[in-house]
Amino acid sequence: MGGLQKKKFERGSATNYITRNKARKKLSLSLPDFRRLCILKGIYPHEPKHKKKVNKGSTAARTFYLLKDIRFLLHEPIVGKFRDYKVFVRKLKRAYGKTEWSAVERLRENKPTYKLDHIIKERYPSFIDALRDIDDALCMCFLFSTFARTGKCHVQTIQLCRRLTVEWMNYVIASRSLKKVFISIKGIYYQAEVMGQLITWLVPYQFSHDHPTDVDYRVMATFTEMYTTLQGFVNFRLYHSLNLIYPPKLDSKAESQLEDEGAYAMNSESYLEKLSALSSSLARVVSSAEEEEAELDQFPVEGEDIEKMEAREKEQQQQEVQKKIFVGLKFFLNRESPRESLAFVIRCFGGEVSWDKSVCIGSTYDVKDETITHQIVDRPSIEKQYINRYYIQPQWVYDCVNAKILLPVEDYFLGVTLPPHLSPFVEEKDGDYVPPEKLKIMALQRGEKPANDEEEEEEEEEEDDEDDEEEDNEDEEEEAEEKNLKKMEQQRSQGKSLQVKVTPGKVKVENPERLEQEEKAEEKRLAIMMMKKKEKYLYDKIMFGKKRKVREANKLAAKRKAHDDAEKSKKKKARK
Amino acid sequence: MAARRLKRVVASQPGFMKLKSTSDDGDSISGRRKRVNKNKKKNWNKHSDVQDIDEFLQDVRHQERTTGGLLCEKPDDSLFFLDVGPPQKPEQKAAPLEGKRRKGRDSRPLRIDLILQHDSLVPPPKDVLAFQQPNAKKLRRIAQKAEQLAAKGVVPRRQKQLLNRRSVERTAKRAVTEANNNPNRDYYDMWGQEAPNPADPWYLQQTGKSRVKRPEKLNQKPSVLPAVEVIAPGGSYNPDFISHQSLLQEAHEVEVKKKKEEDKIQRQLAVNREDTATEETILREQVEGLVEEENEEAAAPNEEEEGVTVGGITRSDRKTERQRRKERAEKVKAQRRLAGRRHIDQRQQLFQLRSIKASIKQQDQITKIKRKQRKANQEAQKAQPRRLGKLKFQAQDLEVKLSDELAGSLRQLKPEGSVLKDRFKSLQKRNLIEPRERAKFKRRLKVKYQEKRAFREIT
Repeated sequence: MGGLQKKKFERGSATNYITRNKARKKLSLSLPDFRRLCILKGIYPHEPKHKKKVNKGSTAARTFYLLKDIRFLLHEPIVGKFRDYKVFVRKLKRAYGKTEWSAVERLRENKPTYKLDHIIKERYPSFIDALRDIDDALCMCFLFSTFARTGKCHVQTIQLCRRLTVEWMNYVIASRSLKKVFISIKGIYYQAEVMGQLITWLVPYQFSHDHPTDVDYRVMATFTEMYTTLQGFVNFRLYHSLNLIYPPKLDSKAESQLEDEGAYAMNSESYLEKLSALSSSLARVVSSAEEEEAELDQFPVEGEDIEKMEAREKEQQQQEVQKKIFVGLKFFLNRESPRESLAFVIRCFGGEVSWDKSVCIGSTYDVKDETITHQIVDRPSIEKQYINRYYIQPQWVYDCVNAKILLPVEDYFLGVTLPPHLSPFVEEKDGDYVPPEKLKIMALQRGEKPANDEEEEEEEEEEDDEDDEEEDNEDEEEEAEEKNLKKMEQQRSQGKSLQVKVTPGKVKVENPERLEQEEKAEEKRLAIMMMKKKEKYLYDKIMFGKKRKVREANKLAAKRKAHDDAEKSKKKKARK
Repeated sequence: MAARRLKRVVASQPGFMKLKSTSDDGDSISGRRKRVNKNKKKNWNKHSDVQDIDEFLQDVRHQERTTGGLLCEKPDDSLFFLDVGPPQKPEQKAAPLEGKRRKGRDSRPLRIDLILQHDSLVPPPKDVLAFQQPNAKKLRRIAQKAEQLAAKGVVPRRQKQLLNRRSVERTAKRAVTEANNNPNRDYYDMWGQEAPNPADPWYLQQTGKSRVKRPEKLNQKPSVLPAVEVIAPGGSYNPDFISHQSLLQEAHEVEVKKKKEEDKIQRQLAVNREDTATEETILREQVEGLVEEENEEAAAPNEEEEGVTVGGITRSDRKTERQRRKERAEKVKAQRRLAGRRHIDQRQQLFQLRSIKASIKQQDQITKIKRKQRKANQEAQKAQPRRLGKLKFQAQDLEVKLSDELAGSLRQLKPEGSVLKDRFKSLQKRNLIEPRERAKFKRRLKVKYQEKRAFREIT
């Protein structure tokens, strides 16, 4: 047994990791600089699997980096820039202290700066990589663009963020790629599909900032610095993919319209303001008329795929229709409605939009325009009403977008209690509880008329009138409903898809279908009988799980019904 | 002094008045003349007696300085006047107005200023050099030429050079110092086709001109969580009843959990009633060791017993040969019995094959389940924030609007929570940055407070 004694912590995981402080010293940077560098280069701390081994026997919680990552950082040219900056600050301080103003000026002129272009290229080698990471960038840009121009961050950063977000919104409008909108209590969530990538971003409400103290602004500013660069390059690429001019220019038509409005902003800012009005389309490199005619080429494929192809085509057509739900509609936004968000959404789906001249630059027509079809109002009543237009609440626009059809306007009239604004980001699975409002929308999407509900309401109205019969009626109704529920439960438990909206008129028509169904059910039963014991066990387990889910959903539905009843009775009382 | 001198001047006036009559007296006293060669200019300067001329000139200067000219040339009126007693003071001064007096005082210069005033009557000599320009003629000519050329529109070469250079420099400088967050910066097609560098890659690498390749591993995201987590459907501004209730429930559970933890700490910190000193315990403590003799007596015999037992262990009898033999035999016998038993068991297991198989299967299943569980746990762990520093990640409070806070319309909506904080926490949750606390301000020197005396007197 010879050889040297092995020393501890000289091999294995102890040598793979490095603590933050050591890394900092290795790069000879201060902690803030080190942090900034890590954020810019996309190097994040690691949690080692065996802390004790890495930490040389101690179990103290420390921040570790992979040693290889830090070695990689050593090659970064920006590190040198950071050091330069440190020297610059020192010199500047000295010049200030000595009140050498000429020296101060000279130093200021030669302030060392750096670019992040090469880092972006390095981190996102292809455009799709960049697009996948754009969510964060968008959120950050939208957030910073709403900041007040106080000392919390550089004014220039805010301006840049504003510019980038306006560019992005204009792109989404031009490409009609918006999919979902959700107005939450936090902010507005948008989702768009750009080049096959789903991109979600969150826009804060305007003027809603209180600056929280427990947020590290320096870190956020660094992230923003990186993300603005990324966003700019992505915007450039996206604009070019649509043959739009970058930096964006307004259409020549729109430009001539807007020319006379010099009173809003200074010359340097007015163009951005006009762009951010979102009311007019952008100039293209090639005129747009030729492009829209282009169709997808069709390649002949073998037999099986044809069906798929057809389905896909159908889907595409549907999507095309969905993209144009607001085409031909003319909106006018009242001053109390959120202008930017509404204008963005309406324009994304092809609508025309305008607002009062005093609200913002870029209004294209007046309230008095007779061709306006919808006026969006967010106040209980309005004095002067035109007959040939709908006065609706802003939620209608968002709900239409989420439902992908034009919803009936009746529920959204002035002063009407709005139906709930459902989240489009929830996707119900088989057997989950689906809120009745969503069911209604789904029925509308399938092309059915919401006759049922109206009838119900009418019935209820009648009930109100006939107090005597009310109780019996209700009891009967309830019984019927319970039966319905049971039936539904049975159906669901057999694993069929929901056929919830079965109108009484259609039952007779369905007879052949039902026969088919019965046949299928029979087959299924036989199949179950033929199962092996083990499989049977598994099957039973799955079915039990499904049943439980259905039961829970039913419970929720019952709860909802109780709530609705309570509301109704309350209303009734209020009416009396 | 001046008056005396004047008197003397007046007294000794032959043709020209001398101010210092004593000087020529000293010269006549000096007796023997010195003989000096007069053929050298140096000696002229050295030995010729110019004192009288010097004095004369000095006198002239002096007269000019003090009186503004030679006294002899002045008219008598300027030198003499008729003394007619003290001048009559005007009557007005008897009752001077205050304002006026002040005004008079203001207009009169201060004495100190008078002393410092330049009192020479000779104007200071002109500095000729100050008005002269070296090479004036040449410069004038050059300027004339330049004017002519400028009229023709010809720019001199040097200026042209300067102009050229300045423009180049400006652009270069701006390119260098353009800040990263310049709102008007321009972008280009980053992911377009790039011409490959024709140079030798080995050369580029060795001279540090090519970038080090980024390791693939760095492009993996540290967490599987999405960048933007959409709020639950109950967070809608106008939510569905059930989803709102479920969100409220969730928030409630979070709060309950927090409360529980707080309560736990409170419970642990609470003072135990039994630990507080009562009168009885205090008294017992005070008389500790004074009264309790009985107990000690009771304890004493115990100790003795222990001592005995310990002694017993140490003492051991030697075994006899017979005893040993017997033990050995017993041991062998037991071993044999065990072997037989094992043999029978093994045979018996042949008939238990089914049950053994079953048990093996069961074990297998258990391991499988455990493995699956472990996998699931690992997957769940991936979505969890890691421990990256001293502090643990703390999720922010759930944004919730209570049922009575829900606004009926978008206009009345009051946003909940802060998007900035949400983003910050999201970054932490996705392991991009470590959770940190704001550095606390630590004062190095102690602050001393002292009441001011004036303040103390009042209170």
